[in-house]
Amino acid sequence: MVLLRFTLSEEGVNALRDALACLNKFSDEVSLEAKRDKLVFTALNSSKSAYAAFSFASSRFFSKYHFEGVAQNREKFFCKLYNRALLSLFRARTGDSLHDPEKGGSVIERCDVAIEDEAGKKSRFIVKIACRNGMTTKYRLPFEVSPPVHAKFDKDEAFNSWTISSRTLRQLMDHFGPGIEYLDIHSEDDSTVNFTCFTEKVASGDEVLKKPLHTSIAVEKDEFDTFDVSEDKLHIVVSVKDFRAITQHAAFLGSEVSAQYSMPSRPMQIRYDGDGVKCEFLLMTVGERGAPGQRTKRPRAGARPTPRAQQLEAAASRATSNAPTPAPRPPPATRREPIPSLRPTAPRQSQRPPPATLDHESLFVPQDDDYQWEPVRMNEDEEEEADARLEWDASDRPNPSAVKMSSVIANQTAQRNGPGPDNSMEQDQALSYIEPTQRLSQARQFGLFND
Amino acid sequence: MDSQLREIWATAPGTPFQPTVGKDTQFTVAFTLLLLGVALFGGFTLNRSFINIPLLGVPASLALAVGTVYMFCAPPLFKAIASSTRQIYQLLKCISFTAKVHVQITQDGIRFAADHSRVMQGVAFLDKELFTTYTLNLAENEDGALPQFQINLAAFLEALQIFGASDVAAKQAKADAEPYRSNLRNYRPDAFSHQTLGVPGTCCLLYEEDGSPLSIILEETGVKTRCNMVTYTPEQPDDIPFDRDDLAFKIIMHSKWLLDSLSELAPMSPTRITISASPNAPFLALSSSGALGSASVDFTSGRGLLDTFTIDTKWTQSFKFDLVKSATEAMRVASKVSFRGDGQGVLSLQFMVEVEGGTTSFLDFRFVPYIAQDDDDEIDTDEEEED
Repeated sequence: MVLLRFTLSEEGVNALRDALACLNKFSDEVSLEAKRDKLVFTALNSSKSAYAAFSFASSRFFSKYHFEGVAQNREKFFCKLYNRALLSLFRARTGDSLHDPEKGGSVIERCDVAIEDEAGKKSRFIVKIACRNGMTTKYRLPFEVSPPVHAKFDKDEAFNSWTISSRTLRQLMDHFGPGIEYLDIHSEDDSTVNFTCFTEKVASGDEVLKKPLHTSIAVEKDEFDTFDVSEDKLHIVVSVKDFRAITQHAAFLGSEVSAQYSMPSRPMQIRYDGDGVKCEFLLMTVGERGAPGQRTKRPRAGARPTPRAQQLEAAASRATSNAPTPAPRPPPATRREPIPSLRPTAPRQSQRPPPATLDHESLFVPQDDDYQWEPVRMNEDEEEEADARLEWDASDRPNPSAVKMSSVIANQTAQRNGPGPDNSMEQDQALSYIEPTQRLSQARQFGLFND
Repeated sequence: MDSQLREIWATAPGTPFQPTVGKDTQFTVAFTLLLLGVALFGGFTLNRSFINIPLLGVPASLALAVGTVYMFCAPPLFKAIASSTRQIYQLLKCISFTAKVHVQITQDGIRFAADHSRVMQGVAFLDKELFTTYTLNLAENEDGALPQFQINLAAFLEALQIFGASDVAAKQAKADAEPYRSNLRNYRPDAFSHQTLGVPGTCCLLYEEDGSPLSIILEETGVKTRCNMVTYTPEQPDDIPFDRDDLAFKIIMHSKWLLDSLSELAPMSPTRITISASPNAPFLALSSSGALGSASVDFTSGRGLLDTFTIDTKWTQSFKFDLVKSATEAMRVASKVSFRGDGQGVLSLQFMVEVEGGTTSFLDFRFVPYIAQDDDDEIDTDEEEED
């Protein structure tokens, strides 16, 4: 039985390829979610710090679109596919200008995609590409029925925003060389916005593993279509790799890019629209703990939901589908924030961008994954998608249970009191406090033992 | 280049030089002279006297001297000169899927045969048309047994690439000297390169005698490079039998279509490829399945792409994908392919390569199929049902 059937023109294939290529920079796997009115491709990266979603409107983007749905779930269908396979079959095909000069550039006549899932038959994602010269290629890819993980963004919280033309943004990003990790965006004064790219120096003994490099570009505020950042000199730091993937794709579409964010260590949303395509990205911003002038919010209880909903969903889908589904995974053991570096947090007043504390690529991450980060609650029944949220834990403490309650309270009160002269001192106390039960690997972070 | 020499060259074809001792008999003459010299010398040493000096000694030394000269002048077994190695390189590159190739020198050209564990065979034939001079001196007494040996193809290709290397080096030197101009349009062919100007450079293939190394002598712009390739004893593998009288089907089409179909299948990283030809739609279908999924290409609506299509009954065989894929270089350079299968299931791909100057060369590939297994058929029928 065909659950979903749609047809793409050659332009559609190209647009889909661009989207997939962009998703490929986030994750190897891509989640497909089909509804009557739209087809959504999403990807969440392995460290769960970046999320990308492309939503194709069924009426505008496709030449034909028919969604049947499974008997158990008429509303939507979801599956996971290996992105490399998809990319290779939607790849750009070179035209044969010699044989067919007037249609030199155009190769694909039409592309039919169907998803079959039925008892007694193989469940396959079937792509049929008809070339103009008469050759027909048919691909059958296996897929895995598993619910997609959506990252949610709280718009009410994001009081800072700006919009800029994607071309301008692309040109800006072209100035930054390779091998850099972070991008710091902050408004300098009333008229300029600074884009600073930097890499933190990582040294192991005498060897310098990552070279510190700062590249700064000052942009006139006029370049932005709108720029509404309530707080002056708010440093917002994101990963360059993810940001670049976004700007590259946005430049293909040539539309306006809008960004919304609240504060460091809270997610940043980037959105832009194309013809029948809606692109949305959530990037975790690298934050500095207890930075002065920041209203730090404690994570709400909703941010750490139970995994039950997701497991139920997975179990239900396994009953309805014949495609292989993975066993319900245990809650992913994702590390929380790494142990903070010994770097003093004080020099906030200087021009130096904030040090990265959520440094996922750092070579000095704790090896022990005993902090279990509970997965997202997937409230699939909800139409509004408002509840299924994946939020980053913005708490600053390395491990709340391990740190004495008194110090936590002290920390909180210190932060609630806002920037104070004793703030950093308090923090340093809390950080340098070592529990007797601490792991050796953690203790090594502080350079107590040389091995 | 001396103008007088050119005149001599120009008039040379009209009045060929005839040596007093024919080229073919030089070796025998030289050998008898040497024998005579040694015998006379022996006689002289046994009986040394004044009378014997003019009688034995002088003839002995003369015979030895002349014999040695003739011996050296004895022509090589094989010699061919080409003014460009591009076509040779292009053709041989297509069969570079094995380390060693079997070389057979015939009166019409040189035949290079590569063999991959007796299941795949690739043959490149360098026609004598590709060379400006082509001489093969077969000794009459050996019943015209053709010289054959094995060489390392990779090394041979490497040696051929030296030709034109001085051009590249000159270009590089120029680029270093003028970085600005070299950045500008450096992809264009240089109007002053030796190849464009026609400054003569020669590539000479020389095979002195059975068992001697194969020499490649490259000469251009005053630089002479001589590469000696070790030749190995021929293994004489039998050709994969392909029965021309029992053809199951024959298709002639643009080799680009075959290349396109293979590149459609390749992303799924398959292990085997199934080729089926049938008298009605889908005419020709290639299918494979790998770790990432399965893919198939058919010519249902592309009947027009097949220039010639003759078939009796449905023919389905499967082959190792990597082997078929190693013929992709040939598909790239060729213009047409003759795609044939015989009753035993052997697949033959014959590529027509049009090289510069209007000559056509042929590359011949043969593949032995997998033994048809029951589960194979099951998969096939399954696929068909789904279709």
